[in-house]
Amino acid sequence: MNRYITAYYLDEEDLLKGLGHLKAKGLEIMDVLTPFPVHGVDKALNMRRSRLTRVAFIAGVVGATLGFGFQAWVFTVDYPINIGGKPFFAVPSFMPVTFELTVLFAAFAMVIAFFVSNKLGPAAKAVIHDERITDDRFLVVVKVGDGEGEENIKEIELALAEAGAEGITLKV
Amino acid sequence: MENQKFILTKKLSTLIYGMIGIGVLSLAVSFLIGTGAERIAANLLLNTYYFLALGLIGLFLVTVHTIAESGWHTSIQRIGESMSSFIPVAGILMLLLFVFGGLHLLYEWTHEDHLDEILLKKVAYLNAPFFYIRFTVYFAIWILLAHFIRKNSLLLDQSGDLKYYRKFRIFSAVFVVTLAVTSVTSSWDWLMSIDAHWFSTLYGWYVFSSMLASGTAVLIILLIALRRMGYMGHVNNEHIHDLGKYLFGFSVFWAYLWFSQYMLIWYANIPEETVYFYERQKNFSTIFYVNLILNFVIPFFALMTRNSKRGSSILLPVSVVVFIGHWLDLYQLIMPGAVGGEASGIGITEVGITIGFVGLFLFFVFRSLAKAPLIPKNHPFYKESLEYHTQY
Amino acid sequence: MYISPLREPLIRGNKNYKQVTDDVLSPMAGKPSKYWYAGITLAGIALLFGGWATFRTVFYGIGEWGLNKTIGWGWGITNFVWWVGIGHAGTFISAILLLFRQKWRTSINRSAEAMTLIAVMCAGFFPLIHMGRLLLGFYIFPYPNTRSLWVNFNSPLLWDVFAISTYFAVSLIFWYVGLIPDLGTVRDRAKTKIRKAIYGFLSFGWTGSARHWSRHETVSLILAGLAAPLVLSVHTIVSFDFATSVIPGWHTTIFPPYFVSGAIFSGFAMVLTLMIVTRKALNLEDYITLNHIESMNKVIILTGSIVGIAYLTEFFMAWYSGVEFETYAFFNRAFGPYAWAYWIMMTCNVITPQLFWFRKIRRSVLLTFIISIFVNIGMWFERFVIVVTSLHRDFLPSSWTMYKPTVVEVGLYVGTLGLFFTLFLLFIRVFPVIAVAEVKGVLKSSGEQKKITDHE
Repeated sequence: MNRYITAYYLDEEDLLKGLGHLKAKGLEIMDVLTPFPVHGVDKALNMRRSRLTRVAFIAGVVGATLGFGFQAWVFTVDYPINIGGKPFFAVPSFMPVTFELTVLFAAFAMVIAFFVSNKLGPAAKAVIHDERITDDRFLVVVKVGDGEGEENIKEIELALAEAGAEGITLKV
Repeated sequence: MENQKFILTKKLSTLIYGMIGIGVLSLAVSFLIGTGAERIAANLLLNTYYFLALGLIGLFLVTVHTIAESGWHTSIQRIGESMSSFIPVAGILMLLLFVFGGLHLLYEWTHEDHLDEILLKKVAYLNAPFFYIRFTVYFAIWILLAHFIRKNSLLLDQSGDLKYYRKFRIFSAVFVVTLAVTSVTSSWDWLMSIDAHWFSTLYGWYVFSSMLASGTAVLIILLIALRRMGYMGHVNNEHIHDLGKYLFGFSVFWAYLWFSQYMLIWYANIPEETVYFYERQKNFSTIFYVNLILNFVIPFFALMTRNSKRGSSILLPVSVVVFIGHWLDLYQLIMPGAVGGEASGIGITEVGITIGFVGLFLFFVFRSLAKAPLIPKNHPFYKESLEYHTQY
Repeated sequence: MYISPLREPLIRGNKNYKQVTDDVLSPMAGKPSKYWYAGITLAGIALLFGGWATFRTVFYGIGEWGLNKTIGWGWGITNFVWWVGIGHAGTFISAILLLFRQKWRTSINRSAEAMTLIAVMCAGFFPLIHMGRLLLGFYIFPYPNTRSLWVNFNSPLLWDVFAISTYFAVSLIFWYVGLIPDLGTVRDRAKTKIRKAIYGFLSFGWTGSARHWSRHETVSLILAGLAAPLVLSVHTIVSFDFATSVIPGWHTTIFPPYFVSGAIFSGFAMVLTLMIVTRKALNLEDYITLNHIESMNKVIILTGSIVGIAYLTEFFMAWYSGVEFETYAFFNRAFGPYAWAYWIMMTCNVITPQLFWFRKIRRSVLLTFIISIFVNIGMWFERFVIVVTSLHRDFLPSSWTMYKPTVVEVGLYVGTLGLFFTLFLLFIRVFPVIAVAEVKGVLKSSGEQKKITDHE
């Protein structure tokens, strides 16, 4: 059974201050939900640097190799044709398509990886903690373990109140 | 922190005088060992043009950021201003070069008795009197604008009166517009007309992009050098990161223009155009390809990651590579037409004279840096530059 | 972060986050205004005209057009280049201005990117329709076939296939990834079940989680870094269609950056045309302020001036080269039978953008609107002049002839205009026209007020 305690802030500066407070108290913050990206939250949650850039680079190299290699194979091995006296291995001619495929592969691979790693998609089943997050609420979500008793829950709720959060609710 | 002024130490000035000395010595030795006069003249043209361009780009970077209302750039704007102090020096040296035989040695269109039918058609533009008139106009515009921009920058700093900021902006805008035109036409006059039978509409922008990349590299080198000497403490990795992004972007832009010019001439295969690249790929092939490696391959792959641009450990060597790379770019723009494959090379003449010019350039840059506080405290956007986070 | 007081606010009216959501999203609810209906009716009529012209072209062939042996490319390719050029502003605003940290892009990038997608669709229509055997259009892609044939990788027209396809695909995902958080906002505000379901589907389950936001920012940044060279490459490759040839007026090395500048020039003009009407119609003047309009006008002076310098360079080089064919080509443009087109182009492209040096004109909504239309007229004529004058009189005088478009060709163009405005009008009803999350992100630093805590 998943239980959460959620609480919200109305301003991102208050959120950041509150997060500092909660971290000092040793609370395990499961997630922070905001209407726009707030800088400083990633540090508070100890998020590591995204690996999506590596995906983009590798995919780009694949695209470039594929693009250039394919053109070269077509024009030197499979069906060489004399086009306007140009050499079969026409490196300058191959550049535009190679570049486009690099960009195409890099962009698509990275975006697909983005959707997969975030579990976003047309059929995604996401838990919407509060419909006002996408409007103007900054939410903090603290997970409550199964074994935790009432006292622990009260402690967490107290800590959140001290950190300036409002609307503290226990959700199941 | 107090507003520092740059102080030229004895060690540094000895180094600079030493470099200038090497330059003068190399020039003398070149004459003595019988290096061709064309080759010496070509080297002098290469270096006067290169360091003139660095001065112009330094000022261009300052003025463009000014009219774009950039905040972060104010911390480093003194460096660009100081680079521009070399412009009049380059003008004098260039004039001396042209007047004392250089014009005749470098440009075949000055050999009035040997003009073929193609060169005869261009006589209205390619003739010595008009050439000198344009020369004077270019330098008059550049020197005057550099002077007024610098003057208003310093007055703004001394008084804090925003009327000087407004003037600074107006002169900056005028400079950007006039440089856009004059850099193009001056490159036709001084560089493209060496190969007077050839032409390319992209040439002016291509040369400009080359100088832009190199100017950025030199700005980075100067900034890192100053920081290592203990100055510019208010500049942090955020500013350096942005300069690194510029170096990456401008290098890619240069490669794009290089490719555009090359591919279009290769594709149409019209002999009067291809003869230009044929000469370079056949007789200067090493430099032709090394040019691409130094100016595109290295900066592209070395500066791709975020961390490579934050800090000097990768950025400094790459900037040096780009600086050398665009010198080589100019080399293969000038030498094939001015000197030819047989008589040219990279020897004492090239290396020594260049070192001399580096010393001379640094002399004037450091002299200018010492004249004003390094921090433009009264610039209206300066405070933005202090608390600056590039965010990505 | 400190922001100098000299900077003009980007969001007026002392907004808080909730107001931003309401202001941008409320035009999407309720019935459209009578102006919207009038607009879409007009656009629909234009679209019908285009439909008729398409029918004529497909059933009766390219002979319905005014092309001939000498002038094999006319209105078709002119319109193609015009539309692609217009599309470039959207990517410039989304990607390049992001890389340059220009916060003023946040209120116009959504609409500009939508405009790009629609413009590229309109552009793509022309290569498709000019093929004759439309159903065999897939031949342009390299796929293994029984004829053992591949496409001609040496041809810039083929490079175009890859460039335009990649451009459309990457712009689409860039636009959509940016849109997802805002679709979440629409979903959460939705009053009806159907609306909630549709936007729930479209928003891909967006929650606003900090982890998701962090990756979202990375993806946006990398996509911007990819889209920036992409947009340069696309119009460069389009320029290669002409520059790789050998005919005077076409074969010139300056075409790539000159075409790109021209594209951004005309694209920004179209963004201005659309945004000036949209901000008034949807009451978004607090978000698309005079500051935004002035900034876009500055981009127009910059790119318009670059285009002007390119004209002067070409003109000079036509003489300097000593090539009599090149010299004649430019003489013919200015004084030959198409001189009227040339002078419209010069007036609209060289003179009108220079007016923006005057601050009063830069900040006048009415004058900006008028000038933006002239810029697009001028840029249409630029492509027309380049395409038609170079073809109609090249090396062999016995081939010299004239070209006039037929009603069918005009109809196809009008049809794409209809398609453009129809799709844009639909866009403003279905999607938030301003990037809500992005504007909220800069509200504190660039809005008119300090701390936002009051809520209704």
